[in-house]
Amino acid sequence: MSILLIAIAAVVVNNFVLTYFVGICPFIGVSKKIDAALSMGIAVTFVMTLTSIVTWFITDLILVRLNMPYLEYVAYIVVIAALVQLVEMFIKKTSPALYKALGIYLPLITTNCAVLFVALLQAMRNYNFIQATVFGFSAGVGFAVAIVIMAGIREQIEIADVPKPFRGAAITLITASILALAFMGFSGLIAA
Amino acid sequence: MTVLLAAGLMGLIGLLFSIGLGIASKRFAVEVDPKIDGVEKTLPGVNCGGCGYASCAMYAEAVASKGAPVDLCVVGGAKTAREVAHVMGVAVSGEEKDKIVAVVFCQGDSEASAFPGEYRGIKDCAAAVYSQDVSKRCKYGCVGLGSCVAACPFDAIHLSATGIPFVDAEKCTACGKCVAACPRNLIELHPLKHDAFVYCKSQDPGVISRKVCKKACIACNICVKAAANDNNADAVRLEGNLAVVNTKAYAAKAEYGAKCPTKSYGTYINIVNKDRVLGRQSVPAQPVEVGAVSAEGSGEGEGPGDD
Repeated sequence: MSILLIAIAAVVVNNFVLTYFVGICPFIGVSKKIDAALSMGIAVTFVMTLTSIVTWFITDLILVRLNMPYLEYVAYIVVIAALVQLVEMFIKKTSPALYKALGIYLPLITTNCAVLFVALLQAMRNYNFIQATVFGFSAGVGFAVAIVIMAGIREQIEIADVPKPFRGAAITLITASILALAFMGFSGLIAA
Repeated sequence: MTVLLAAGLMGLIGLLFSIGLGIASKRFAVEVDPKIDGVEKTLPGVNCGGCGYASCAMYAEAVASKGAPVDLCVVGGAKTAREVAHVMGVAVSGEEKDKIVAVVFCQGDSEASAFPGEYRGIKDCAAAVYSQDVSKRCKYGCVGLGSCVAACPFDAIHLSATGIPFVDAEKCTACGKCVAACPRNLIELHPLKHDAFVYCKSQDPGVISRKVCKKACIACNICVKAAANDNNADAVRLEGNLAVVNTKAYAAKAEYGAKCPTKSYGTYINIVNKDRVLGRQSVPAQPVEVGAVSAEGSGEGEGPGDD
């Protein structure tokens, strides 16, 4: 499967948030403002790419060789937790401005199930190293696209005259579901 | 055997990562001035921006590393200033500051002012003003859609039943969010002690302003003359078609408005709980001025929407 196909599939066709419904928590929680949503999207993309790379090594070089693929869940969770910690320290040291911009979102990524999902999926699909890297990156981009679109819509909803029973979480979830429906239009574009 | 191997492997991976993280935390350690943290802990943490910095954390950093004054926090007031000064090891300058609150300069509620139409656009004052689609006929008065209410981080400003915002003197911290939110610049910050203002910003000539609002200033000059007779000529002056209280000296007295024909010159309008703050005596929380208005207009719903 070509690299380009993997990328397009992960960004639009099989968008993590809107097709697989993983990473819903930050998708709803951090989509009130476009700035914050973009920061979150970039941070998630960063961590997802790294996770995909590191878990590829763990899977292919350790778990498969030792014939213990059933450990993948546990191993991946450890990897993600450690990675996020490392990334946080690194950014804090090298770029205080970026660290401030990401703020609380960085440690929150530890519990973002989309990150775990990217690791599991690339192991399940037996991607090689380059494919895994591209897949991790484009899955992150897909997440960023979804959350930024959502934030844009929610900024408009904020000033719209929403009927009382639908205000707050209700209109947010309805919006998310319509957005997911819209993304269904991409299905069939590529068999992935 | 498999169990042991699995446990051993996970233990090994965990150990490797923890060693890696341990080394990384040493290598990437960032030295932070402990004073920044100390100052930030004493601040209220509401990030209102009243001090002039975007957040409490930024103000704390400015105090600790750039030598910003310790008494800028308007929310915590003198108490926080003392605590910050204690952390920084400096003396607090000056004594207790006068309590400053937001003052709403409009009395054109649904009873006093003409509302010829109904506004059906976005519920936001700025949007209503820029779209020229305001239900109220006065071009200078409050639109009554509550953008200031939405902007207030302290729940200190609310719309009365007749559609004019009023300020809770107890909760108001003079952070200035509502001042910035009002598209018609009807809200200003003034010391609570000062009790006399012309609660109108209309620059319409008296002939027009009298038609569009019962409580508009019609520039009749009575308060200006009253001030002049009191040897206080600079306290109130006429600026165009509007009498304005001098807010540099705050010398105007409430008596000057005694003969105001439209009662636009008033004292403590659109403010509640002022007595509690001023500590004169304990009065119940029910407002005097606004309470009277809201009691009369309670059957009228939200105000601006009514005709």
